[in-house]
Amino acid sequence: MTKELENKFAAELEKNQGIIHKVCRTYTNNDAAHKDLFQEITIQLWKAYPKFRGDSKFSTWMYRVSFNTAISLYRKSKRSIETTQIYDNLKELEYQDYDDSKDNQLKLLYKAIHSLNDIEKALALLYLEDKNYKEIANTLGISEVNARVKMNRTKTKLKNILNP
Amino acid sequence: MDQLEKLKGVWQNQDESDIKYTKSDIFGMIQKKSSSVVKWILIVSIIEFILPNLIILFTDNSASEKLYDNYDLNGVMLFYTILYVIIIVGFIYYFYKNYKNISADNSVKDLLHSILLTRKTVKYYINTNLTLAAIIGLHVFYKVFNSSQFIDKLPENTNMVMVWTVAIAVFAFVLFIFWCIYKIVYGFFLRKLNRNYKELLKNDYC
Repeated sequence: MTKELENKFAAELEKNQGIIHKVCRTYTNNDAAHKDLFQEITIQLWKAYPKFRGDSKFSTWMYRVSFNTAISLYRKSKRSIETTQIYDNLKELEYQDYDDSKDNQLKLLYKAIHSLNDIEKALALLYLEDKNYKEIANTLGISEVNARVKMNRTKTKLKNILNP
Repeated sequence: MDQLEKLKGVWQNQDESDIKYTKSDIFGMIQKKSSSVVKWILIVSIIEFILPNLIILFTDNSASEKLYDNYDLNGVMLFYTILYVIIIVGFIYYFYKNYKNISADNSVKDLLHSILLTRKTVKYYINTNLTLAAIIGLHVFYKVFNSSQFIDKLPENTNMVMVWTVAIAVFAFVLFIFWCIYKIVYGFFLRKLNRNYKELLKNDYC
């Protein structure tokens, strides 16, 4: 039974790992920390998996656990603190370098997201993933009104960072 | 179109991460142990629950036993010991109940709340312990300082107010040190959680 559950879980996770990678790229700024957070999220997902009833989509449930791990449960390991290598030379890019290449736009977007606080990062990610306010409010556990207020502030903050 | 709306498209079409895991990588990962903050809170809390008792158990209590005999404090101390055991059992039950409520698939707010509540149980436990220690201390001082055996040993014209002041100051200092140690440990684990919890609930009127 456990083996069967493990198999099912690993297959689902392999298919949907993009979600966790996005959360990791949002909350960490180097490969070592990324891998570390991915590992912790996977453990937390696995621990919570037997309770997953399928009332919500697997991806929605994954977001919830991933945010919880990044925001509340994850403690940076020594390994990730010591590493200073930044993703793809992200820090060398300046906002003024803004050009139309999708790659550059994405790098600048990630750089902007990195300067937000933990809660704003979750809001930015949920916005970019096109989630509706009901789902955002549900994931974070706040009222829809508050989710809207926070989202507007986060969007304004992001725009200000992108257009200094 | 709004700049962020355009970036949404870029975001959603981003290439897969450079890091890509296979099923067997994932099997490996779920065999590993979690290093989450909750695990550390549990370990530290258990230490905080048992440490005071271990100290009492493994230190030489003959001096205090003699003191209790001399000043007729055995009955009082038995009462406090029973009270202490009831308190500790109550707190451990409450702590366990809160700990069980911690679940990574709650909403972000509920998870933060249940972690903070679990840790708060330990805070109340420490506060209760320190208060109880203060009450016992004052009670013992009162008994000792008012006994003829003690007064007879003092030089003549000793100002009792001074004796009380010094005793309370030393005692308060020791309790303060314990409180500081606890605050440092508490802050170490919860700074980030408290900050995020406040940030999340800002402007939430519902």
